[in-house]
Amino acid sequence: MKFVKRLQKSIENHIHNNALCINNSFYTYKDFALTISKIRASIVETVAESEKLIGLVTNDDIETYATIIALWLEGKAYVPVNPATPIERNEKIFELTGTKYVIDSSESSLYHKFSIIDPKESEEVDIDLTPKKFSGDQLAYILFTSGTTGLPKGVPITFDNLDSLVSAIDDEPTFSLNEKDRCLQMFELTFDFSVVAYLFPFLAGSCLYTIPNGAIKYFYIFKLIEEQKLTVLTMVPSIINYLRPYFSEINATDVRYCSFGGGALYKDIAKEWSACLPNSKIFNYYGPTEFTVYSGFYPYHKDTHQKAYNGIIAIGTPQKDTSYLIVNEDNEEVAINVMGELCLAGPQITPGYWKNEERNTHCFFNRQEGNKIVRYYKTGDLCIKDEEGDYLYVGRADFQVKIRGYRVELAEIEFHAKSKSQIKVNMVALDIKNNLGNTELALAIESEEFDTETLFEYMKTKMPNYMIPTQVKFVKEFPHSINGKIDRKKLKAFFDKKLSNQ
Amino acid sequence: MNKEEILSKVNEAFVSVLEHNNFELTDQTTADDVDGWESITHMMIITEVEKKFEIKFKLMDLMNMNNVGDLINTITSEI
Repeated sequence: MKFVKRLQKSIENHIHNNALCINNSFYTYKDFALTISKIRASIVETVAESEKLIGLVTNDDIETYATIIALWLEGKAYVPVNPATPIERNEKIFELTGTKYVIDSSESSLYHKFSIIDPKESEEVDIDLTPKKFSGDQLAYILFTSGTTGLPKGVPITFDNLDSLVSAIDDEPTFSLNEKDRCLQMFELTFDFSVVAYLFPFLAGSCLYTIPNGAIKYFYIFKLIEEQKLTVLTMVPSIINYLRPYFSEINATDVRYCSFGGGALYKDIAKEWSACLPNSKIFNYYGPTEFTVYSGFYPYHKDTHQKAYNGIIAIGTPQKDTSYLIVNEDNEEVAINVMGELCLAGPQITPGYWKNEERNTHCFFNRQEGNKIVRYYKTGDLCIKDEEGDYLYVGRADFQVKIRGYRVELAEIEFHAKSKSQIKVNMVALDIKNNLGNTELALAIESEEFDTETLFEYMKTKMPNYMIPTQVKFVKEFPHSINGKIDRKKLKAFFDKKLSNQ
Repeated sequence: MNKEEILSKVNEAFVSVLEHNNFELTDQTTADDVDGWESITHMMIITEVEKKFEIKFKLMDLMNMNNVGDLINTITSEI
């Protein structure tokens, strides 16, 4: 738990710096330390020592961030739920984790089935940030993602996992935050990308800028960049899609780092975006929730580092202590330049899905390497390793579909469809079932209707007939999940129900 | 174009994007007051308004737009 100790030191050493900017209000590290200490005191007073998994309603306020740190100082884990998510689902999560206590800063909490701690009601105490002694295999958080069976699946991450993440990022000299940095935190705390967006700034004594609920996200981010002169951006690629029509107005000279993750970064938009950030390094990070946020990155540069596959920027190489392995369907390593499923091993790997033995058997495997047994996590992502040792992202394994017996990579269809289109719009290839129960290919285009004849003629010159979509729908705005990823399931429904393109 | 005419065209843009008319737009109306008006639909409303008035907003104007009154003022300055 070296990083918890380091959090203590960082907060104590930067007591006069700003820690958070929330809805135009600034809070110093001293305010933060006081808030952490008083929440910690009420946790110690109320919660039994044996209760380790504590619910957290993720409001956009200092108490919510302070609660995370307070729980960590006590060796406990936070189980975050988003107040905008239906309460039934959130209660289900607390039931699955056996959570008895919920820390909720909302004006009136809805979680009556649980013991509620209102962090705003806690009494002032002296600052005490000295971490308790506890073992590194204790959990630091559990995040839930949607599961295929309808039941959300929990990914527990330990203090040791987080320690390894911090140590790997420390080891990377090209990314190093300092106390003068002003960092964007645009993520829901139920999304694992948020962990790197708050943890690294707090460890460096930097200031975090959040997005208020109800703000128009894309414009608010630009407002922060412009008015608060942000220096560090951590974001999902979908954000810049929305800002793209305005790129010519953006010249953010203060930004030093821009990290992408949580989705495919496309080469053409990355190049345009990098012109908006003339002094910034751009990192294309890769990593699943199951491997503690980041497992490696590719250092994108518009002139020197623009390696891509089907227009998607490479994911580069694994970070310190992490190993990548590309396997076939029998979990055997494949050769260079051969596509397979990417598997990850190393100290950042989750102990396994929460109470889900079936899934654990399916998603993890052991491999004999020399005289060691190494445990791997199967990411479900298809990748290729090239001669230079860089890993290239191809697509999701579940986006690989079979059409009339042929294996088809949906990302490839998207690449060819987009590369010819005059207007730069989002396109998604989908596999849908037709009336006869056969799989057919469909293309969803995020745009007003336009003539697709030339686009299809072009695709026919690039791909075999079976890869050409047989159905097209124009969708004004693609449905997104809460994490900003395109919701393919919902998009498919546009074809299933034969909905109009309104 | 007077303010009522602008407001009426803005109203049309909202209805066409949000697909309902359970709202009354005044200068003080914000995203909190209208069902379905959030980050993504806001981008669509902006595009729709740009089309209807044949104008192109500046990002600087968009970032300071906090309510319908701000939107109408910006339109007035552009047409």
